[in-house]
Amino acid sequence: MTEIRTLIVDDSSVMRKIIERALRQAGLDPLVVFEAGSGTEGLEVLKTQQVDLILSDINMPWMDGLEFLRQIRAQKLAPGAPVVMITTESSEEHVRQAILAGAQGYIRKPFTAEQVKERVLPLLDAA
Amino acid sequence: MSQSLRESVHLVSDPRNLDASVEEVFHLMLGVDCQREALPAAAEAEQVTAVVGFGGILSGACVFRTGRSAAMKVAARMTGMEFAEIDDMVKDGIGEICNMLAGAWKGKLPNLAANCGLSVPAVITGRDYRIHVQAPEFQLRHFYRFEDAYFEVMIVCDGIH
Repeated sequence: MTEIRTLIVDDSSVMRKIIERALRQAGLDPLVVFEAGSGTEGLEVLKTQQVDLILSDINMPWMDGLEFLRQIRAQKLAPGAPVVMITTESSEEHVRQAILAGAQGYIRKPFTAEQVKERVLPLLDAA
Repeated sequence: MSQSLRESVHLVSDPRNLDASVEEVFHLMLGVDCQREALPAAAEAEQVTAVVGFGGILSGACVFRTGRSAAMKVAARMTGMEFAEIDDMVKDGIGEICNMLAGAWKGKLPNLAANCGLSVPAVITGRDYRIHVQAPEFQLRHFYRFEDAYFEVMIVCDGIH
């Protein structure tokens, strides 16, 4: 069975653990997880690792999630990997900015494992 | 014509929005239901406090404060791990709870959701400290409990722009 290589970008290590657990509960198996505490770290991971899926927070120090997304596109990293933003920002404008920057999905915190499953699995099937 | 935030300050300061935010965050992320308490519980000497700032059309902060044992219980529920002390992961978890409470609360009004940003959380640990707020525009201070864990959530607004 092909492993699903996933990058989780969030400045909170607790949130990274919660997201990983939600992905496993969603049935993503086998799952290989790469973690990054900032957009800058995330870019460094993507320069050396191939991933199938990226989940990223928006509000992070140094480089926020939207700039991280723009840099992924500009540097042509992770081609074909869907990006899902997981964030406390809930306004339509934030969602619009995320989609414009290249995100394929959006999950608002707080979230359930079921919501992660509903947003992520169709993107992986389509990729 | 849509109302300005100042004209709808009564909606912004509605205490039910804070209760709904607490219920949403704790139910979804911890799987627990919280009860609102009229008075604070007797405080543990060691406290953990997280602060997330608001900036934009509303300036202020969301403050989450709890005692040592409750903080470890919250972090344990979030992560599925056990904690014996207030380590970096517990502090991180409390910061994230405050972050989500701030986001859920400001999301209750579309104008606020779109035009008010959040800071990254700051977490303070220590004993015997008090929080003082000078002349807020409005302030909500609620006490809650789930099982035997007590906590306090405060929304302080020091400006509506």
